[in-house]
Amino acid sequence: MNPFTRGKSFLGSAVGRALIALVLVFIAGVIFNADGAFYKIGTHRDTLRQASVYGILACGMTLVIISGGIDLAVGSVVALTAVCAAKMAIHWNWPAWEAVPATLAVGAACGLAAGLVTAVWRVQPFIATLAMMVFARGLAKYASGGMKVSPAIQNADGTYRYVEVPPLFRAIDHRILGDNLSIVTVIFVACAALSWIALSKHRWGRYLYAIGGNEEAARLSGVPVISAKTFAYVASGLLAAVAGLCQAAQEQQGDPEAGAGYELTAIAMVVIGGTNLMGGRGGIGLTLLGVLTIGYLDKILSINAVPEAGRLMLSGIIIVAAVLTQRRSRT
Amino acid sequence: MTLEPNIPGAAPLVRLTGITKKFGAVTVLRDVQFECRAHEVHVLAGENGAGKSTLVKILAGLYNDFEGIREINGRVAVIHQELSLIEAMSVADNIFLGRTPARCGFVRQAQQEEAARHWVGQLGLEIDVRQPVENFPVAVRQLIEIAKALSQDARVIVMDEPTSALNAPEVTRLFGLIQSLKERGCAIIYITHKMEEIERIADRITVLRDGQWVGSAPAAELPPAKLIQWMVGRELGEQFPRRAPPLGKERLRLENFSVPPSVKPISFSVRAGEVVGLGGLQGSGASELFFGLFGACGSRTEGTVQLDGETVRFVSPPQAIASGVGLLTNDRKATGLVLSLSVTANATLAGLRQLSPLGWRSPARERAAAEKMTGPMRLRAASLDMEVGALSGGNQQKVALAKWWQTRPRLLLLDEPTRGIDVGAKREIYQLMDEWSAQGIAILLITSEMPELLTLSDRIIVLHRGRVTAELTRAQATPEIVLAAAMGQASA
Amino acid sequence: MRKLFVRIFTILAFTLLAGCNDSKTSGPHQFTIGMSQCNLGEPWRVQMDQDIRTAAAQHPELKVVFKDAQNDTLKQRAHVEEFVSAKVDLLIISPKEAQPLTEPVARAMEAGIPVIVLDRSVLGDKYTCFIGADNKKIGKAAGQWIVKKLGGHGKVVELEGLMTSTPGQDRHNGFREGIAGSGIDVIFVADMKWLEPEARQEMESALARFDHIDLVYAHNDPGAHGAYLAAQAAGRTNIAFVGIDALPQEGVPYVQQGILDATFRYPTGGAEAIDTALKILHHEPVPKQIVLGTRLFDRSNVAQGGEPLP
Repeated sequence: MNPFTRGKSFLGSAVGRALIALVLVFIAGVIFNADGAFYKIGTHRDTLRQASVYGILACGMTLVIISGGIDLAVGSVVALTAVCAAKMAIHWNWPAWEAVPATLAVGAACGLAAGLVTAVWRVQPFIATLAMMVFARGLAKYASGGMKVSPAIQNADGTYRYVEVPPLFRAIDHRILGDNLSIVTVIFVACAALSWIALSKHRWGRYLYAIGGNEEAARLSGVPVISAKTFAYVASGLLAAVAGLCQAAQEQQGDPEAGAGYELTAIAMVVIGGTNLMGGRGGIGLTLLGVLTIGYLDKILSINAVPEAGRLMLSGIIIVAAVLTQRRSRT
Repeated sequence: MTLEPNIPGAAPLVRLTGITKKFGAVTVLRDVQFECRAHEVHVLAGENGAGKSTLVKILAGLYNDFEGIREINGRVAVIHQELSLIEAMSVADNIFLGRTPARCGFVRQAQQEEAARHWVGQLGLEIDVRQPVENFPVAVRQLIEIAKALSQDARVIVMDEPTSALNAPEVTRLFGLIQSLKERGCAIIYITHKMEEIERIADRITVLRDGQWVGSAPAAELPPAKLIQWMVGRELGEQFPRRAPPLGKERLRLENFSVPPSVKPISFSVRAGEVVGLGGLQGSGASELFFGLFGACGSRTEGTVQLDGETVRFVSPPQAIASGVGLLTNDRKATGLVLSLSVTANATLAGLRQLSPLGWRSPARERAAAEKMTGPMRLRAASLDMEVGALSGGNQQKVALAKWWQTRPRLLLLDEPTRGIDVGAKREIYQLMDEWSAQGIAILLITSEMPELLTLSDRIIVLHRGRVTAELTRAQATPEIVLAAAMGQASA
Repeated sequence: MRKLFVRIFTILAFTLLAGCNDSKTSGPHQFTIGMSQCNLGEPWRVQMDQDIRTAAAQHPELKVVFKDAQNDTLKQRAHVEEFVSAKVDLLIISPKEAQPLTEPVARAMEAGIPVIVLDRSVLGDKYTCFIGADNKKIGKAAGQWIVKKLGGHGKVVELEGLMTSTPGQDRHNGFREGIAGSGIDVIFVADMKWLEPEARQEMESALARFDHIDLVYAHNDPGAHGAYLAAQAAGRTNIAFVGIDALPQEGVPYVQQGILDATFRYPTGGAEAIDTALKILHHEPVPKQIVLGTRLFDRSNVAQGGEPLP
């Protein structure tokens, strides 16, 4: 294969197609660089920081979508776990080694519930996770009393006392490498790496691809469909809890309204990366490209102070355009 | 434009001359000629990959970039092996799909239904054309497709493996229909691998081999042996010599085993190294029996199953696999393979537990296992990494078989292992079955091809509507007895 | 047989008659007030209900029934109709939108139930009293405070709330009015939709674009807080921050802790609603409109609980 045909076949591959979208976004950033703001290191660091919470959700979403399902609950689980983390760390003064596992457990429990309803009772994932989305949101509001869980704590007589932002939150919302890398970005990369390892190096990952590709054939080949599928939702809930922790740390409070619509952004990132919504194909690498594409798109619109209406319309058009370039050519 | 006949007789409806078709660098057809007349059943024979379906597509006008001359007199309708009906839509809607009679865009429902009833009635079928197609069995759906072809005034009807999902009475009905279509002046181009069908209905036979035209002749001049020779290129001895291996101890014993409601309490046993064929027509319950044995029916089964003397009860496929039972399903695309995964992935799917004991996969080990399994099968695939969905039917089936080999089974349940596969590949699969039973594996075989059933089985158990109607040794079995038992006449 | 029939009939009649009695007459002047809230998603509205609850608690003769329409106009209509059927003594409503709730409120008035409208108005004048703050006035006060703080000129970033909502538009227009004619230059405007993470992102963009920012004016305190966090992370500590809402557990402590330089209370009107309700229930005259003033909280007066603005 000469370099030209090799290049052509790369562009035709899934990674190549996802890269095209990202490269186009970058070119747009260069053109509309807002007085050079696009070239500053801080801008890139901030883009990655902003995209990290969505990116963590996108990792879990990738796992679930590959298995042939979908998880609409992740946004609400972010809120629920943010509230829990804030309550534990701020109000109850739990140390990090207690608060973090407990928060992760809450997320995993939500995922487990949705997963069991889907896998064991065979309710469609769309419906099961939609129900969890509503339930978790309600639980978040209940647990927080409808108000944000913040360092301002109400006393019995109605006045407020103020406590320090817990060290756990400060540690997460922190920067390293000479202020050029946010810790949440590191957490996102770690989540992506773990998800990638599970998907491509572990038996469970192969099971997910098989189930998404042809669930009945997988079942008749001895794949433990129920447990594998359930675990995909547990993983998604767990990752949503990590995202919730990052969200709470960055806001320095637990907001029961947080995360609204985040699931759609996560799905958009997965789809633009090239993972097929039908299941059975795709991967974390592709999703990472999708995260970067949408993250940078958001940033470019932001530094150019594009008005809200314009942003929404542009984002919509670009998502469709990106997916169209994903179409596999029919040979 | 009418074609002038080369040979005295009816006018040709189709003439293809010097057809050459390339896909990129691959030449799929080279200088092929084909002529087909009215009032003729013309069988198109050849192994898988011989180029039959490409030729048919050129005939039907689906490809326009080919070399050669294509002359057609009349419309061509193609009825594929996988029917192209939309299951959720009604019969009438399907027949008139794309040509819906409408006034200002509003469908003229009554008119459409009456026309549909007319066409369907032409085939001797009395069904409610308003019902969705999915409510009807495969045999009826095929007739609906034919009705659709007739309603389009097709003079040339191509049928690709039409009987693979039909039972004997349905086949007879189909053949009767073909006869009447022939008399009406149609040309039927019939693609099949079944020798007994060719003997039954062919007027002329054209053979393709490796994309080239081998010859065309009247059926009378092509007895089976010569036909096979044309197709495969070498003299094939008699059907298939099966070694009779020494039989071991009792491997499987069923006592009053049932899978309600399709399989009534059955009792029989299979010894190690034995091939027991399950004969029966559609609805016999044989496939359901396999599902029940494999644990795919959950806890719906009743009765006792003993494997090597030990009582077992499988309620899930992983349990069965762990105990050394494998099931090859009768529909590789729907339930046998994950088409989006590679050959290696599919071949190692059932044995993944053994290949990755701690959960961590080793691509090197999986590749080695896949190579080991598919090597002896002569799998024709560009590489083991290609998607299984891109392989031909025969090669797909080999991958499905390879998958079970990895699990080192002691009992193999094979449901239609050679469905939709060409002669050469069939022999290879028979060879494999022979080797496996020689190694002591017990095989239960379901097949709807009588010659295959009679040749391969050491014993034959015939099922009719979930009950055993006959248990025959190899010596006792004849097609007549088997068919009679399959249709419900129990032998003593 | 006939006697039994008469006894049963008498018992039934008494039960029916007893049920017809208003619950009012069962105790000494017990008043039931229905409170229809458009949503409890915003903490500010949670605060509003809380303020009503606290104020009513001091008057044991008042019983308040709270209903939350979850931001659904049709649900809120249904709630009003339910209160009318239950014949409450007074209705307090904070409507989601003016047009669809105007008629149900009018019908409540026709049924003899006085209505106090809180925060967002209905159309026409078929209500007893409207109590609300003026977002435009607050925005203008903020603008004027900013002009004074920056000595008449400076570079300001405006972080807007949802500009499809009236509060967002009013706080924007009022602000522009307040800074009109001064040397204040608004260099970057973005819609952060009232959300803190969005405000943080927009502020990061502004910081990347402009090396010199004097002050950030955000339409609500969470927005100002998000901008503050972004500036802190970027090491730009010489920026002032102004927000609006001044909830006692959010905006006010932000000023106390030095995070915000100023915030303006957007009063809920809960306490005023109960005061007005009591007057109405005791048949005293009340004005048609009560415009609530705002309070300024800045570093100089936060310890004293801010100072009211005209």
